[in-house]
Amino acid sequence: MAKTVLVIDDDRDIREVAKASLELVGGFTVIVAESGRRGVAVAQEARPDAIILDLMMPDFDGHQALAQLKDGPDTAHIPVIMLTAKVQANKLELVGKGAAGVLVKPFDPMQLSNQVCEILGWNAGGKDPGHSGCAKE
Amino acid sequence: MQAERIQATVAAQKSDEVRSALEKVWLSSRPEALGRLVTLRRFTDSLRSGTPDQDSWERALSAAHRLSGSLGMFGFSEASVCAAEIEALLAGGSTLDVATLARLVERMRGLLERTQASSGKPEQRDL
Repeated sequence: MAKTVLVIDDDRDIREVAKASLELVGGFTVIVAESGRRGVAVAQEARPDAIILDLMMPDFDGHQALAQLKDGPDTAHIPVIMLTAKVQANKLELVGKGAAGVLVKPFDPMQLSNQVCEILGWNAGGKDPGHSGCAKE
Repeated sequence: MQAERIQATVAAQKSDEVRSALEKVWLSSRPEALGRLVTLRRFTDSLRSGTPDQDSWERALSAAHRLSGSLGMFGFSEASVCAAEIEALLAGGSTLDVATLARLVERMRGLLERTQASSGKPEQRDL
């Protein structure tokens, strides 16, 4: 069964490209949310296998969403990968706050699934011919 | 050997599917990217004629941030780097050099215009 990844980003382009990339290349099931607050609510409801969370969002940013996800009994166990631009990246700080890893924007759509698998220690390479993702372990 | 050939074929198909999906997203988001460029040009003009308010500054910073984050995904690496330079410049606050900003914004305009030149099929894509 395909793993489910929740992508939280206020930028429509990022959401759509990440969704297409993770679904087509990785074989994941992808759900999206357009704000940090909405993302936390979706995570509580859908309990995805992993979350990709944008750091810089208005009102309720990635730091706040990460804290709420890690404090929530229903979501604390879900690995969260932070998505951020190079200029802001502070991997150690984010990992210290509970993030599983950091992805840098802009990402390569062909490589996104592999990067997610690598960060999460999921079985990359796939067992299906040509399956470069890790959803079908 | 045959497994390798099948793998290569499937990988190529996936690559085509992703390219096609990217093309669709870019076609719908290009007007938004051009709108962000307008925001940056207006901000540059307002810097020349005085001190822009905090809201204008934040809108410009957000526009540069979004351009930097999204253009690279579509394969427009040069434009993405240019937007990142603009973002870094704007984040520097009061030390901002207006001439440098204007030069970068003009360069961004040229790069984005080239993405329009082939009716939705960006020439600069190096994905």
